Amino acid sequence: MNTFASSSADPIIAQNLVRYFGDVKAVDGINITVKTGEIFGFLGPNGAGKSTAVRMLTTLLRPTSGTATVAGFDVAKHPDEVRRRIGVALQDAAIDPLMTGTELLRLQAVLYGIPQAQMKNRASELLERVGLTAAADRRVGTYSGGMRRRLDLALALIHQPTVLFLDEPTTGLDPMSRMSLWEEVRRLNNEGTTVMLTTQYLEEADQLADRIAIIDAGKIVREGKPQDLKAGVGFPTLLITVPSDQTERAKAVLATFGDMRPTAEGSLGVGLRGGANVVTDVVRKLDEASVRVQHLEVNEPSLDDVFAEATGHRLEGAKA
Amino acid sequence: MTVATSDVVIETTARSRQLSIRQTIAMAKRSTVELARQPALIAPSMFFPIFFAVLSASSFSKTTAIPGFPKVESFMQFTLASTIVQGVLFGSVTGAAALATDIENGFFDRLLLAPTTRTGILLGRLAGSALFGLFQSAFFLAVLVPFDAPITAGIPGALVMVLSGGIVSLAIGAIMSSVAIRTGSAEAVQGAFPLLFVLLFFSSAFFPRETMSGAYKRIADINPISYLVEGLRALVLEGLTFSAVVRALLVPTVICLAAILFALKELNRKLAAL
Repeated sequence: MNTFASSSADPIIAQNLVRYFGDVKAVDGINITVKTGEIFGFLGPNGAGKSTAVRMLTTLLRPTSGTATVAGFDVAKHPDEVRRRIGVALQDAAIDPLMTGTELLRLQAVLYGIPQAQMKNRASELLERVGLTAAADRRVGTYSGGMRRRLDLALALIHQPTVLFLDEPTTGLDPMSRMSLWEEVRRLNNEGTTVMLTTQYLEEADQLADRIAIIDAGKIVREGKPQDLKAGVGFPTLLITVPSDQTERAKAVLATFGDMRPTAEGSLGVGLRGGANVVTDVVRKLDEASVRVQHLEVNEPSLDDVFAEATGHRLEGAKA
Repeated sequence: MTVATSDVVIETTARSRQLSIRQTIAMAKRSTVELARQPALIAPSMFFPIFFAVLSASSFSKTTAIPGFPKVESFMQFTLASTIVQGVLFGSVTGAAALATDIENGFFDRLLLAPTTRTGILLGRLAGSALFGLFQSAFFLAVLVPFDAPITAGIPGALVMVLSGGIVSLAIGAIMSSVAIRTGSAEAVQGAFPLLFVLLFFSSAFFPRETMSGAYKRIADINPISYLVEGLRALVLEGLTFSAVVRALLVPTVICLAAILFALKELNRKLAAL
């Protein structure tokens, strides 16, 4: 048996990757380097360019310009070599509902050239791993969303890829299914698989990723370890809700305690220069200005603050 | 060459042809299993042509006496060939619509993500259509031949007809798959079906060209479906002659090859545009 020499290069390298759809620049010159054994989170709102970037890295789309190597091979020049080494679970878990879990795994095994002799064991092993042994011979159309995602993950792992791409793997899942998938991702990573994960969930990126890149409007606006990025924001955020006719007075008071931060509609936020200790002072000043505070909370810097600071707006659906 | 990713061994270039065949068979199997699991979807393509054959046999029985009509034992015998073509037209659209659904729901991307030949993805799907076409043709013969519709070419002729039905199915499947690949929409494929049906009616499927005149005849003369039907009909009416066998197999094979090449070109165009 011959084996390809393992590359010393980082498993995912993208340089000035650009992709246009007509006149629309979906990905605008992104640079990414993912290290071996990392979980790399790609965080951004819907339409930010995450999936387009992943589709280029996984050979499904050609870059308009720029280069990318995955598992040591150029995605444009050697797509089949890349495909042999990566596992991909795409958004929406596109799985044929008429087939059973076992049938799909065996089809996937054939597509990846796994010999007949290994196929059966590999399929059973993966079904067990993702907890679908009991449902293996049921049609996928009868699976729950969480079960489909787990099967999707198993399909992506059929050939034991060294690099795994997960495109919004937990979108639409209930909290239990989400946690269970996170556990599996961590387990795979502990076994040595490099993972690139796109998500629009702050908590997911925070919980799973060793490093993250925040993408907005096709550009990477921040990149680093979650804790470093959050520390970079510095001050905690004070969020208040006040009656709408008192908003301007409240803003004037808050501005004396720090820089205003973007928030969800209906609330006001300020980065407290003096830290959480000055909250009582803020409340006192608001009271003196005849502002009635309806709701107040102090949040330590979050990835949403990092996102808000970098882009001027908050992630869709994120708690502000 | 093989690639070892941990303890899973992946076959690659050394046996790539064998692997491509294995992949195409697996895709064909999936396509067939899918069809078999959707009885409501395939039932119309099995029963509507039979219903139409029975209806036309009883309504047009006296037309067999029209001058120019070939010598037949019954109108059912005359319409046997068109029933097969009509049925596989229906069935092939179902297969192509499934390909469009794969594109719509992202399953096609899953196939493209695998290190498979792109040709195999399409050929596998088409092979499923061809198998279904073989099954439909055998079914139509089994049901209709006992009703005063003997095949002059006998059992060997029936086998050639079944084979020809499979090839026609492959050809129509390839044409409709081109629509599926170009549009990526199952609705567009279903929407294109009436065009095939119109072509069927403007052919010699239901009446011999010798009995036609004017524009109708001119259209039937250039309509490829006329030649598909007449090839099959030759086996029913003329017997197992060299000419009948060649017409029953050659015409659909030529159309089939052209349609597959066109579908592959569409696929390559789509992949190049990604």
